Amino acid sequence: MSGTDIAFFLLALAAIAGGVTMLQLTNVVHMVIALVMTFLGIAGLYVLLSAEFVAVVQVLIYSGAITIIMLFAIMLTRHHTDERERQTTGGVWHKAVAALSVIAFGLAVYFGIRQLDFGADGSALAGDNARAIGKSLYSYYTIPFEIVSVILLVALIGAIVLAKKDGKGAEDE
Amino acid sequence: MMEQWLESTPSWSNIALFFGLGALLLAVVLAFVTYGILAERKVMGFMQGRIGPNQVGGRFGLLQTVADVLKLLLKEDTIPKAADRPLYVLAPIIAFVPSFMVLAVLPFTDAFRFADIGVGLLYYIAVSGLTTVGVVAGGWASNNKYALLGGMRAAAQMISYEIPLVMSALGVVLLAGSMNLVDIVAAQKDVWFIFAQPLAFLIFLIAAVAELNRTPFDLPEAESELVAGFHVEYSGFRWAFFMLAEYVYLFAMAALVTILFLGGWHPVAFLGWIPGAVWFALKFCAVVFVLIWFRATFPRVRADQLMEFAWKVLLPLSLVNIVLTAVVKAWFF
Repeated sequence: MSGTDIAFFLLALAAIAGGVTMLQLTNVVHMVIALVMTFLGIAGLYVLLSAEFVAVVQVLIYSGAITIIMLFAIMLTRHHTDERERQTTGGVWHKAVAALSVIAFGLAVYFGIRQLDFGADGSALAGDNARAIGKSLYSYYTIPFEIVSVILLVALIGAIVLAKKDGKGAEDE
Repeated sequence: MMEQWLESTPSWSNIALFFGLGALLLAVVLAFVTYGILAERKVMGFMQGRIGPNQVGGRFGLLQTVADVLKLLLKEDTIPKAADRPLYVLAPIIAFVPSFMVLAVLPFTDAFRFADIGVGLLYYIAVSGLTTVGVVAGGWASNNKYALLGGMRAAAQMISYEIPLVMSALGVVLLAGSMNLVDIVAAQKDVWFIFAQPLAFLIFLIAAVAELNRTPFDLPEAESELVAGFHVEYSGFRWAFFMLAEYVYLFAMAALVTILFLGGWHPVAFLGWIPGAVWFALKFCAVVFVLIWFRATFPRVRADQLMEFAWKVLLPLSLVNIVLTAVVKAWFF
């Protein structure tokens, strides 16, 4: 077992533990903090794959910006903090079917990726990640890149329009 | 020298070596925090016609911070009854760990540097953003309206000012052709980027002050309106952790400004016989002094002014700077 394997297992454990903790917790703010752990674990996995640019962007966008926005939204809205007893819904059959489908999904993914060939090892790109990504993005994928930016712009304008309408409606009431 | 060590095969002696070097950096940072706080109080005292600390540790109050820290460590650790206990305990740690993680990528001199990664600048910005999570969580977990307001302000401010911070640094990245901080310093061998990128330097400095939550942008901890902001319920060593994070960021940000705009360890003209470490320290101290100067002389801005300034002034200016830099680089280089 090499050091990479140990690092992989620790990071994967952190990511999965974050996810499981998030599902187990009842408080929304705690859930977001657990989610940060998952994001950081995944970022670590990207580093192991020598995709440091993707890892850093993952931390910047997901663990930083998106988490903060989520916390902001949670704190600004009213939510029930009373710790109610968690009740599971559905009968035995319901749960059995759910468990079976989870196992089936796991098996499908396992057999799907077991024989997968990702082509050449990406470690040659290590160290000059950002340059390689930029070059292929602007040489071969210019149109998808532009379309993505237009979609983002549309989303931005849409958000402004929605927020504006809401404000006017509130004033009328 | 350190590059050879970084590339050598891992072994136990290697681990011991890097542990020792890390401990050395820790000692440097803690010494800076100790005397940076004292320098801040002294400089602000002189600017306001006072003397500043002059009792503990001789005429210059050299042991004042040490005494303060000892007092903080001995203080009772209070956790409010209505606070969200696990998050309240966790928040100072989340706020403080990233502040030390960012130090890994800063190249102090040619020989004394740690991680040499291709996305160093982006790493700094990304990891320092994690502190905001701790600040917001701490403000929320305290279950106090002032703390919550402070935490919300911190989140809004840090997200808003991160954008001009990155955008202004992009001009430097364009000129250096790399996000690796070592390469950025190497690109400034002849001309420092403060001369090539004066507009970017101004925007970066302003955004850096805002990211550090210092006056005139210290709204998250505005004592006259929020009691103390996000850490109002904290006391003792937990509060000390928040303060430590703040001053380690002061160290890191001053070092980053030195690296990005002031040429890192490169000497001035013919004074090359002075070692790079001294040059770095001199430039670093100048940046820290300017930050203290800001704190002592500027009034605090209002929350709406703060937001408008980031989005309506700094962001357009930094975009203009990027376009100008790209045009200059395309035509003249």
